[in-house]
Amino acid sequence: MKIMTLLTLLMGITFPVTVFSETLEIEINGMTCAFCVDGLLRKLGKLPEIAQVDVSLKNKKVRIDTGDEKADIDAIKQAIIDSGFTPVKVHAK
Amino acid sequence: MPNKWATLLWIGLLGLCFQSGALGMGLRSFVALPVEKGGTVLRGVVSHDNETNINQLTANLAYGIDHKKTLLVGAPYRLSSGNTERLEDFSLLYRQILSQVDEPKGTRRLGLLGGAVIPTDSSRDGAFQAGAVATWFRDKNEWDIDALYQVGTGDRRDSARYDLSWQHRLIPTVYPEWGIPSEVYGVVELGGRWQKGASFVHQFTLGLQWTQGRWVIEGGVVQDLNGPDSTGFLLSVRFH
Repeated sequence: MKIMTLLTLLMGITFPVTVFSETLEIEINGMTCAFCVDGLLRKLGKLPEIAQVDVSLKNKKVRIDTGDEKADIDAIKQAIIDSGFTPVKVHAK
Repeated sequence: MPNKWATLLWIGLLGLCFQSGALGMGLRSFVALPVEKGGTVLRGVVSHDNETNINQLTANLAYGIDHKKTLLVGAPYRLSSGNTERLEDFSLLYRQILSQVDEPKGTRRLGLLGGAVIPTDSSRDGAFQAGAVATWFRDKNEWDIDALYQVGTGDRRDSARYDLSWQHRLIPTVYPEWGIPSEVYGVVELGGRWQKGASFVHQFTLGLQWTQGRWVIEGGVVQDLNGPDSTGFLLSVRFH
C-alpha cells in the first residue's frame, strides 16, 4: 500500500497534467468592412479549440483564446484564407 | 392562395433556404470582395421607377463555393398595377477571382463573371452573359467597377451594363481597438444600361448604407443623366 502510494505520487510529479491555454494575435491583410469581417468571425468560431475570438479592424488582427485546448495554427490560418483574407503573422501572448 | 402571393412566398422561401455569409458592397454595382467558403449572403431589393411607375422586388443570393469562387443568383418580381405583374427572368452568374492582393490597409481584387439569364416564361428567350469586376479597398474607401454583356438568344436583344461605385465610410471615423462597430457608408455610383437598338442610358446613384453585424440596410436615388430622364429609388436589406 505504501509502495502504491509512493508510485502514484511519483507519477504525479513525473507526468503533470498539462493545460493548454493560449492567446494568439494574428495579423491579417485584406480585412475591409465590418460586414465582410463577420464571415471571418463565423469561420473561426466554428473551430473546436477556439473559445473566444475578437477582431480589431483598426489594427487588422484577430485575437484568439483557446481555453483549455491547444491551438491548431494551420487550421486557424486555413479558416482565415477560407474567409477570403490573408494571415500574416502569428503572435503568442 | 392568389398567384401573386404564392410567388412572393416562393421567392422569400428561396431566400430563407440559404443563410449566413458575407459580401460588400455597391448599391447597384458588382463587387470582387469575398464570400467565405460555404457562406451566403441574401439580399432583398425593392426598387421604383418614376418613368414607368413600375415597382420591382428582387431576391439575390450569393454563395461562396470557396473564397475565390462565388455563385450569384437574382430572382426579380415585377410589382405594378394592372395585369403586368410577373416573375421576371432569373440571372445566374459565376464569379471567379483571378487576382487578390491583400495589404494591411485593404485589398485589390479582379474577377471574371459568366453565366446566363434564364427565362421564367416560355414566351421569353434567355441570354448568355459575361463580364468582369474589380474592387479596390483602402482605409475608408471602396471602389468597384464592373462591366457585363448579355448575348440574347432567339428574340431577346443583346444588352450591356457598366458601373463605377465609390463607397466612403462616414461612421465611425476611427475604429475602436477591438470589436465590430456599426458603420455608415455614403455611396456614389455612375452606371450605364444599354439594349440593342437603343442608346446607352447613363445613371447617377446617390445612397447610404448602414451595417450592424449581420445586417445591412441601404437605400439610394437613381437619376438618369440622359435618355428617359427618369428618377428611381431603391431600398435594400442584406443578411449574412
